[in-house]
Amino acid sequence: MNAPGLRRQDMSAPDAGNLPGHHRDPQGSAVNTQAGWRRLAGRSLWVSGAKSLALVAGAAAGLTRFLLGQDWQAGGIVAACAGAAVLIVAAVLAYDLARLRTTRWRLTPERLELRSGLTTRQHRSLPRDRVRSVDLRADPILRIFGLTVVKVGTGEHAGDHTELKLDPLVRKDAETLRRTLLHQDEEREARDGPLAELRWSWIRYAPLSVWTFTASALVLGALYKPLNAIGLKSVTSRVANDLWGWIAAQPLTAVPLLLAVNLSVGALGAALLFAESWGRYRLEHEPGRLRLRRGLLTTRSLTLEVRRLRGVEISEPLLLRLGGGARVKTVATGLGEKARNETEDAAALAPPLPRDLAWRLAAEVASAGGAHPAGVPGSRVIAGGTALIPHPRAARRRRVVRALPATALVAAAAGVASWSAPWPWVRAWVWLIPVVVLVAGMWGAVESARNLGHALGARHLVSRRGVVVRQTVALDRKGISGWTITESYFQRRSGLLTVSATTSAGRGHYEVVDVGRETGLELASRAVPGLLEPFLVRGTTVAKQ
Amino acid sequence: MSTTMLRPPRNQADPRVIPWWTVQWLLLMAPIAVAAVAAYWIFTEHPLWLGAAVAVFAVACVVLALVAPRAYYRVERWEVTGEAVYTRKGWLTHTWRVAPMSRIQRVDTARGPVQRLFGLADVTVTTASSAGAVKIEGLDRAVAAELAERLTAITQATPGDAT
Repeated sequence: MNAPGLRRQDMSAPDAGNLPGHHRDPQGSAVNTQAGWRRLAGRSLWVSGAKSLALVAGAAAGLTRFLLGQDWQAGGIVAACAGAAVLIVAAVLAYDLARLRTTRWRLTPERLELRSGLTTRQHRSLPRDRVRSVDLRADPILRIFGLTVVKVGTGEHAGDHTELKLDPLVRKDAETLRRTLLHQDEEREARDGPLAELRWSWIRYAPLSVWTFTASALVLGALYKPLNAIGLKSVTSRVANDLWGWIAAQPLTAVPLLLAVNLSVGALGAALLFAESWGRYRLEHEPGRLRLRRGLLTTRSLTLEVRRLRGVEISEPLLLRLGGGARVKTVATGLGEKARNETEDAAALAPPLPRDLAWRLAAEVASAGGAHPAGVPGSRVIAGGTALIPHPRAARRRRVVRALPATALVAAAAGVASWSAPWPWVRAWVWLIPVVVLVAGMWGAVESARNLGHALGARHLVSRRGVVVRQTVALDRKGISGWTITESYFQRRSGLLTVSATTSAGRGHYEVVDVGRETGLELASRAVPGLLEPFLVRGTTVAKQ
Repeated sequence: MSTTMLRPPRNQADPRVIPWWTVQWLLLMAPIAVAAVAAYWIFTEHPLWLGAAVAVFAVACVVLALVAPRAYYRVERWEVTGEAVYTRKGWLTHTWRVAPMSRIQRVDTARGPVQRLFGLADVTVTTASSAGAVKIEGLDRAVAAELAERLTAITQATPGDAT
């Protein structure tokens, strides 16, 4: 519960007794000067009012359906709906009012403090010198009212308890708070222009994901239940029946047409999602930190201290790779895997973008991590993707051999099927499956071996692996906090081993897979001078294991 | 041709780990063997070939429980220098771990109930990485305590925030 640097305590009665004094403050949502305690933005009431309308719509639909079943007159139904609407809105407003009235925050020279809680009073405070991130997030309704939600984090753990959330503040106050907490002068902001900015042509990479093929089917499935629930069951089942009849009658036209519709809906969805997540994307290098702004409807502003950066990762999922695109992610300490209700993971630095741009951005971000501009040569290794050293042929042999049992298994299954299946067409065609598996397996094995690689730059250890998602990670050599070297029985026979650099950032460990024994050990020994050296033996004498 | 290899760490676990691990393995394996024999006795018609197979399985379980600890004892080694903690373990898959003193965040000693009977303790060295814990198993209790103290002292003397 108690994270370092964070005090958390339940408030006792005397403090709660203080509060009525605040309530009489004529300034409303503005600054309450008494001891510096401030309120959240009072306009939040409008926002919660507007959001409660969604609840009202759902409730009204349900109520109407229920009352229609009870043979009510139209007037009665309207009255009931209106009553329910008033009740819901009033309840939401009352709750939000109580929340706003009981929440206070203040910024002292040392700490940021927040008092909150309707039933359980809480007092949380964050030392200002530990503040590492100030993130702003505003959904469309908040934006209409000029408000934004502020999250202040220490960046030590991804957990909830190291974050203070001010929900919501007026946008101008939020920006001021951000700048004050991060010790930033307005003029010094973004001196060199952005590191990257959105180009709408990148949207062509958006549909290059598995979701494009599956999303519309998933959405249909998810919609089916709610549509039934609000009384459209007869409609949905009739549509489904007609559709099925059509497919059965004319499979040769229906199936390709449906697949095409599925694909285009998926692609459209992916493009819309891309636009929402990455519209107005802008990555800036401010002194000591990176600032990422994105979002067309819901705007987000994320700050990442360069001190927390331990490297960059270029991730190329198969489809995106075939399309010539790549993604750039950070390897940083204290980032959660995925923030709740976010479609992008917290480490993402850029939307899918052309490969050469991705390499350039990665190199720039990697060099931003250094205190000295002399760090740039290290990024040259990242920039020249071809400079990676491939791994021995034994690595490929290992993968090919590993792919064979799967093929044998599938072939055996196909044999059984062809022998026992009652339909003749199954018997004729089933042999295609093992052939496809064999080809795919061999391709995967060769591609996987081809993707293996490593390099040692002035500042980074670069390693690459993966078939389905090819990941190239440049890990800051200073960020390596140990080595784990593994050698399985089969690796030992082929003279290979896997060198894993452990680190406090990102996934926690990054591997150089199936590298030649000597190359791997020398690589580890040179990457962090002096750490592995005392444990190595060199020379022709074969050490007894 | 020159070769580069990792040399084995200098120290072995306390010899008492062999009986301790044997007890652990037996606690795991004996019920399996007994269950197999019981299942044969209760649920089958006692065919001879199945009886032989079950007997071989039960004996193999017990033999494994007796042999495996000795094998592991031979391969598990550890070493602590002024700069790093270095361990090796694994029989089929060898695993070497190195953690520098400057990155060590926490040093723990742990003694399980059975372990206590043998006067043994484990020392776990945790770094900031989620994957970086290095465990030295089966040390003499006094050696473990002394090692933990030494590691803590070195770690505190090393500057840096260990991330």
